[in-house]
Amino acid sequence: MSGGPAVRISIESSCEKQVQEVGLDGLETYVPPLSMSQNLAKLAQRIDFSQGSDSEENGVDSEPRDGEWGKQEPEEEEDTVKFQPSLWPWDSVRNNLRSSLTEMCVLYDVLSVVKEKKYMALDPVSQDPTAGKTPQVFQLMSKKKSLATAAQLLLKGAEKLSKSVAENQENRRQRDFNTELLRLRSQWKLRKVGDKILGDLSYRSAGSLFPHHGTFEVIKNTDIDLDKKIPEDYCPLDVQIPSDLEGSAYIKVSIQKQSPDIGDLGTVNLFRRPQKNKPGTPWHIKLEAAQNVLLCKEIFAQLSREAVQIKSQIPHIVVKNQIISQPFPGLQLSISLCHCTGDKKINRSSPEKPKPDDHLYVLEHNLHQMIREFHKQQLSSVVMPHPASAPFGHKRLRLAGPMAYDKAEISSLQQSEGLLEKIIKQAKHIFLRSRTARTIDCLASRIEDPQIQAHWSNINDVYESSVKVLITSHGYEQICKSIQLQLNIGVEQIRVVHRDGRAITLSHQEQELQDFLLSQVPRLRL
Amino acid sequence: MGVTCVCQVPVAEGKSVQQTVDILHKKLEQLGAVKQGNFCVDCETYQSTVNAGGQPSKLLYVMHNSEFPLSCLALFEGGPCLVADTNFDVLMVKLKTHFQNAKGHKVECRGSRYRYCDFLIKVGTVTMSSSVRGISVEVEYCPCVVPGDCWNLMKEFMLSFLGNNVPELPTVFAAKPEGLFAPADSVDTMTQYLELFNKLRKLQITGSNVH
Repeated sequence: MSGGPAVRISIESSCEKQVQEVGLDGLETYVPPLSMSQNLAKLAQRIDFSQGSDSEENGVDSEPRDGEWGKQEPEEEEDTVKFQPSLWPWDSVRNNLRSSLTEMCVLYDVLSVVKEKKYMALDPVSQDPTAGKTPQVFQLMSKKKSLATAAQLLLKGAEKLSKSVAENQENRRQRDFNTELLRLRSQWKLRKVGDKILGDLSYRSAGSLFPHHGTFEVIKNTDIDLDKKIPEDYCPLDVQIPSDLEGSAYIKVSIQKQSPDIGDLGTVNLFRRPQKNKPGTPWHIKLEAAQNVLLCKEIFAQLSREAVQIKSQIPHIVVKNQIISQPFPGLQLSISLCHCTGDKKINRSSPEKPKPDDHLYVLEHNLHQMIREFHKQQLSSVVMPHPASAPFGHKRLRLAGPMAYDKAEISSLQQSEGLLEKIIKQAKHIFLRSRTARTIDCLASRIEDPQIQAHWSNINDVYESSVKVLITSHGYEQICKSIQLQLNIGVEQIRVVHRDGRAITLSHQEQELQDFLLSQVPRLRL
Repeated sequence: MGVTCVCQVPVAEGKSVQQTVDILHKKLEQLGAVKQGNFCVDCETYQSTVNAGGQPSKLLYVMHNSEFPLSCLALFEGGPCLVADTNFDVLMVKLKTHFQNAKGHKVECRGSRYRYCDFLIKVGTVTMSSSVRGISVEVEYCPCVVPGDCWNLMKEFMLSFLGNNVPELPTVFAAKPEGLFAPADSVDTMTQYLELFNKLRKLQITGSNVH
């Protein structure tokens, strides 16, 4: 454009220095401008190493790098003395550069190793052309196929397992001879004699002294028709028990009121249940029944031996399979061995029908218990002292010397009662107890005015029971508590203890107890 | 097991030992006691052969009581006491070299045994080498084991048939602590018998010590 002469315009930057403070005298203090190195540091901090290197930044990069290397030595010492990242702005720059150097070195090393082709080789990764480009439906189908193959394999294996298990069960049901023999051996004692297999079902190893051999034979059951269907309870193993242990037996203990004539004795007692002795009974049932028969025989043999040997005031009568004794006058206790072999027909025309409440199951059970206790005693250290140098006799008796036992204590340690005595005592007690209960109940129902209550104790002994009899007046139970009688029923006597401590012994007579209780009744009225 | 008291009954004047014993028996039977057999208490003396220093050797007494038929007691006078099995006698035979049996010093007490409810009374004659030395009476109250509790009862009972000869509480019980922790047992009985035997032994032999 035309005009006058060009005007020189001088451009001046504004005041670079900032005013730090203005003094009171108007003097301005300026912030000292950054020196060149400080400026450089500021710029270096603004470098972003994460971005790729561009040509623009090359120049910027090289300068701080040069400046950095020069500054490293003197400023490193400063750094190590007091490390404050804010003081040294080049710290982050240095770290980043150092890490990039490390990476470059590694890359260089890898490339040099690969170039030799001795320790490392480059192989192209097989590119899946369909990866990333395949549709999802295709992926689903391929997954399905692979899962199906895996499932097929597993199913095949499971089928094989289930087949083998089924076969095993089938085998077990078939029950061949050897598995049965194994089962038999796990429960009973067997031994092989020649080509026969014999077993022992007696109690001899448990301490019995009964002379019966108790041997049974194991035989193979070969009478099977393979054409026909195998029956359900077919067992390839069978046992043959001795002929005198066949059938089943039990010991009948009963208390009868009237004593029959001597002529009536000797009749075989009736059996309470007929024995079903099918030929196809499994061997364990047969063996158990035979063992039971043996035990009953032993009990009866022991009882009859004692009945004959032991002298008592009223002798016991042993006839055929019965032992009869008289615990109380007018009363008869009969112990009989009832053995039914199953061959004989039960004599139904006999007038003696088995009364269900005649048989005292408790006493039968007690007999079994006592004979087992006797067996155990035989095996105990009484017969075989432990250790072998120990003296014979009861273990507790060894203490008798050093503890200075007197005669009462010693005799209590040594049991001298036989099976028969014990069972007679128990029978006496049972009878006395039931009769006492009957007397008290009879009296209680007969007398209305003062009420008689009987509280029987739940805990009692085979030889002793107790009952508490209260005689109270209706409505005055709490006031008149004076008549409380404790009756201890023993084997032959009843001991009455009053509330104030007086004790009276009554005999087994029923009338005595009745009179006594009747005498207590008017006491209440006073 | 109960509390026992052993005492000596002096021979009645003008009567022999046997007659005094019979009088006692009669009194007991009148009381209502029941005779239940016989009893025997004996005591053997053993002297230790090993002499420690200048002290007189201690005497070991081995006693038997028919009340404890399977036991044997060995005691030193005033010292420790051992209750053992009857095999102890055999052991003493084996210890012959250490313990000499003073055979002439065996003391025995034999007599009858009476039972009166809870009491056991034994009246016996003490003999030493077949010469009668005195009469001993042992009263046992079976239910109790604490001497302090039943002493009065026993004393009263003894008064009923012994009359004036009732003894005081035996020294074995007086020395014991009270209560159930020190129950009376066989050792006390035998200690009392030993005291009685020693007393009776010294009676006839005047002056010299017992060997």
